[in-house]
Amino acid sequence: MAEDLVRMERINKFFGRVQALDGVNFSLARQEIVGLLGDNGAGKSTLIKVLSGALQATSGDIFMRGQKVDMRSTSDAIALGIETIYQDSALVTQLSIARNLFLGREPIKGPPIFSRMDTLLMERVAGDLLKRVGIGKTIPASTPISSLSGGERQAVAIARAMHFDSELIILDEPTNNLGVAETHGVLQFVRNARDSGHSCIFIAHNIHHVFQVVDRIVVMRRGRVVADDIDPKTTSVADVENVITGDIAGVAH
Amino acid sequence: MADAAPSPNELDQARAQKGSFLRNAIAAPEFGPFVLFVLELAVFYAINPAFLSVLNISNTLTFTVELGLIALAMTLLMTAGEFDLSVGSLFGFAPVLMWTLYNGGIMSLSVAFVVSLVVAALIGLVNGLFVTRLKIPSFLVTLGMLLVVRGTALFVTDGFPQRTWSAGGQWLANILVGDFYVGPFRVYASIFWFAAAAILLGYVLTQSKYGNWIQATGGNPVAARARGVDVNRVKVILFVLTAVMSAFAGVISSIRTSAANPNSGSGYELEVIAMVVIGGTALTGGRGTILGTVLGIFILRVMRNGIVLIGVPGLAYNIFIGAIILGMMALHSWLERRHQAGT
Repeated sequence: MAEDLVRMERINKFFGRVQALDGVNFSLARQEIVGLLGDNGAGKSTLIKVLSGALQATSGDIFMRGQKVDMRSTSDAIALGIETIYQDSALVTQLSIARNLFLGREPIKGPPIFSRMDTLLMERVAGDLLKRVGIGKTIPASTPISSLSGGERQAVAIARAMHFDSELIILDEPTNNLGVAETHGVLQFVRNARDSGHSCIFIAHNIHHVFQVVDRIVVMRRGRVVADDIDPKTTSVADVENVITGDIAGVAH
Repeated sequence: MADAAPSPNELDQARAQKGSFLRNAIAAPEFGPFVLFVLELAVFYAINPAFLSVLNISNTLTFTVELGLIALAMTLLMTAGEFDLSVGSLFGFAPVLMWTLYNGGIMSLSVAFVVSLVVAALIGLVNGLFVTRLKIPSFLVTLGMLLVVRGTALFVTDGFPQRTWSAGGQWLANILVGDFYVGPFRVYASIFWFAAAAILLGYVLTQSKYGNWIQATGGNPVAARARGVDVNRVKVILFVLTAVMSAFAGVISSIRTSAANPNSGSGYELEVIAMVVIGGTALTGGRGTILGTVLGIFILRVMRNGIVLIGVPGLAYNIFIGAIILGMMALHSWLERRHQAGT
């Protein structure tokens, strides 16, 4: 079996006396698309925040490419090739699309002390990326984020993950608040991601969206992983819904 | 007649183009301040032509650039979402420290100058660390620092001004505020320091990646941190920059006026913040403009000068300043809302 890209072992997370994660084991192979499902409060977001460095686990280990890693911040996670796209996509609304795409990793030119951002390069690359996520025709890359719709903002966040070639892209409710065409674009992006060598963790409330794109479904309930090997090709949506709500114990497939 | 007239279609297009150009110009945050500045010049000149006399212009410029140095640094700090109330007290304290060290025979003037800037940098560092590490709002931190620094200046000097001139022809004084004449214009070297600082900081804010980080820090610190921008370091550096610029401005002013008064600079913090926000920089951070600040600096200083020249009692000055601030804030917020709605 191929070496896992990510392996999380016995992850516990307490918020005060509330246990949000209870001995969670989770793994993800290279070029695998995993759907992470669960009701509100099941612990999906907490697990993802631990993996993206936004929260530290109370106990447990995380391995990237077989190496134990210690993630103290989101920049540690980004350096390891983990890119997270949140529900409220983390963009600076005052800045332009191009400036947001390259924030923290601006290409520069000119002599060292007086170096400046390579604005032309940034806007050209941003323009190409916007075309790939399907909003490039109407919106120039110099537009500030504040004048974009929710779906367009999501597309910008996705464009950023694509450009920086993160090995693992985590999409936390990426299709919320999106129109039909935009949702279609996001799902298409996830399908393409595997072909271009990325792994994805896809979190969504809409089970139908998940079924369309993932290789494997993991279900969480009350801080535990209750099923981690559901094949969307052989399982019905109704069965998965039952696992999520806890109507039947275990997985039948 | 019908031949010469352009078709209605062409007219519409021309009007639309002209409209969008105008709309873009009006939407720029510097547009309002620019119009106000031009208006100010026109009104004062119409009432009293001496307003644009060579003597008056060079007099107005002299002090304007000293206060302006602080406003330039404050623009970057406010773009990053913080502000500094201790700038006025540093403006008074730094020259007091420098002249005390020099007059006491402890060190040469240039070394004392460097020492006072370093002390200012440390004060800025403390401001920054209190704000970023202890998460105390900058209003409270810098208000406390204002009192500490002003109190120190008063205590050290017993409240008396320091002697500033025990040796003529200091090279440092010539570099900082040496004056010379260009034709009838009396020019102080400080205007070159101001121009250099405005160009450099404007370049940093709009062209460099640090400018991108500053705007992101003020606009959405959570997002900036998620992209690996060290938000705290950005803020600390800008607190240090603002403190050093205030000290620098204070030293320049004390050399020019041959006075180091521990009380000088009182109230400058609010005037400087007013200059910055009038120019279009957002008090809440995320958006800043050096060009706007330069306009804001001149709007307030020209107002102070012009009011006296046209015969309004100087005591009424604050009424006009307050009205300008309220008017410009209303304009900026209106533009902001219209911009947000027009998507």
